[in-house]
Amino acid sequence: MGEQRLVELRDLRVEFHARRGEVARAVDGVDLTVRRGEVLALVGESGCGKTTLARTLLGLERPAGGEVLFEGEPIRYDLGYLRSYRGKVQMVFQDPMGALNPRQTVYEVVAEGLRIQKLRGDEATRVSEALRRAGLRPPERFLQLYPYELSGGQRQRVVIAGAMVLQPSLLVADEPVSSLDASVRGEILGLMLELVREEGVTILVVTHDLGLAWNIADRIAVMYLGRIVEEGPAEELLSNPKHPYTRALLSVVPEVEEMEQQILQGEAPDPTRIRAGCRFHPRCPLVASGEAARLGIEERCRSEDLDLHDVGAQHRAACHALPTAAV
Amino acid sequence: MTYRSSAGSVPAVRGVSFDLAAGEVLGLAGESGCGKSTLAAALLRLLPPGTLVTGEVLLDGEDVLTMRPGRLRAVRWNDMSIVFQGALHSLNPVHSIGRQIREAIEIHRPKLASTELRARLGELLEVVGIPARRASDFPHQLSGGQRQRVLIALALACDPRLLIADEPTTALDVMVQAQVLDLLARLQSELGLAMIFVSHDLSTLSYACERIAVMYAGRVVEEGPSAEVFGKPAHPYTGALAAAFPIIGDPTFRMRPSGLPGDPPDPRDLPSGCPFHPRCPVAVAECVTADVELWPAGENRRAACIHVLERVGVPS
Repeated sequence: MGEQRLVELRDLRVEFHARRGEVARAVDGVDLTVRRGEVLALVGESGCGKTTLARTLLGLERPAGGEVLFEGEPIRYDLGYLRSYRGKVQMVFQDPMGALNPRQTVYEVVAEGLRIQKLRGDEATRVSEALRRAGLRPPERFLQLYPYELSGGQRQRVVIAGAMVLQPSLLVADEPVSSLDASVRGEILGLMLELVREEGVTILVVTHDLGLAWNIADRIAVMYLGRIVEEGPAEELLSNPKHPYTRALLSVVPEVEEMEQQILQGEAPDPTRIRAGCRFHPRCPLVASGEAARLGIEERCRSEDLDLHDVGAQHRAACHALPTAAV
Repeated sequence: MTYRSSAGSVPAVRGVSFDLAAGEVLGLAGESGCGKSTLAAALLRLLPPGTLVTGEVLLDGEDVLTMRPGRLRAVRWNDMSIVFQGALHSLNPVHSIGRQIREAIEIHRPKLASTELRARLGELLEVVGIPARRASDFPHQLSGGQRQRVLIALALACDPRLLIADEPTTALDVMVQAQVLDLLARLQSELGLAMIFVSHDLSTLSYACERIAVMYAGRVVEEGPSAEVFGKPAHPYTGALAAAFPIIGDPTFRMRPSGLPGDPPDPRDLPSGCPFHPRCPVAVAECVTADVELWPAGENRRAACIHVLERVGVPS
């Protein structure tokens, strides 16, 4: 089991200090394991803390509490450690145009990581190989091009090649296809699956897109206001969502027709003012419809905070309305 | 519609025809560079000077493209208005949203008394789901979804009959996207608005529109009732767009993302024959030279693919 765990987050907390002494609890007590060789999708609305969580995992933010374990060891924040850590954990950002230096050729972009990691040796071979694996074939055609000479899909492939050239164990991809054209999207997602299957890389993909999760994720963790509120195998979670927040998210995806739409009002709430009780209760359809009162749990929804509990096989959720399943 | 640039002429829209009835909702689907935003802007004659536009945009039989400036100004806002793509930043940051909406009303109805003006402002905000007391808020005090609502209120300020929305939900979160779609649907049914809804997301369009036209490389390649276009695409490009956003729960898509090789073509350098042939999974030798046009592809449906001819028979 220990072998399986590539990254573990333990009671992770990340805070930002806003004006007037307010503290935004962007990540507010997250326990999450990323297993070796899987694609884990971290899903939620903007402002839920998913990008902060990913940045903290990469060592870009320091936790206010809890820890990040990589291969069983807590990560450290000295420069030497971080440099070698970045060789093993790489990031792919949302907007490839923004992630690429417009004055660097494709070759320079991809070689940069090697130079920072001081892996000079057979640089040219490694760069060509990374481009080839990212689907830019033949690599020679692309080496001397600048980002503006590439299409959106090709740019994202260059970003992925730049990350993969270091042969990392983990790729963290933040909305990797949301800025791409619809017809190109599937190709990039297909490439990510190929990297998992053929190179054995592990992927944490941060997204608001449940369709993407259905396309490539083995497991899904749903985040709401700094916490994971539901997690489980992708197929199980999407076909049998338990948490009212996950159910609402799924009901508004146009591709899901059988569910009655539950449009939550307002937007992702304010992490400087997390309410007592279940953090979802102010927007929860069960509370609003009176269902929680009928079940006799409304008081607990409003006052009692709760952790994830088992609701099925490897399926956990944090909702007072859900009985704990015997697993 | 051809853009002129230092690098030469760029044909962005190459022969598009469609009708829109009063109160009808049409979806315009396609990817970046396909010409859909150019087309939307051309309907209101909003393209940059120097753009070569041929053809007609008939509004109740009157050609928008040849209207005198005064008439054009009256038609914009009063008859047709537009919510632009990426317009969340187009609100003036130093004026309250109320002032910005008031200005739009005043320009078109200069004689309105101030009490009526205030009432109309409150009504508009209410319609888009923003409490009237927030009229004194500045854009930065609003979330992305609320700013999009303000822009819709602005577009509605002069009671247009046609609203053009260019990617109105693309920059928004899933839940907020659903809220805005819900709002647009409500406006459409309550105010009897006709709408042209531009998006790259075919599933959103099929949900929001009665009819869909799919554009590729400056042309409409398929059109028809939205459920059928999305559910049973006649053009292979439509099929690829439909499959790009998987049906959750459908095993066909599970661990099988579906895309097209290559990229949308450069409008300056279009492929010969059917412009889709280099990326087409069902292309045959003929497609490289064939002159494709929109052929009938079932009831109220047309598609620009030579395979449609085999299926339906050559039209006489």
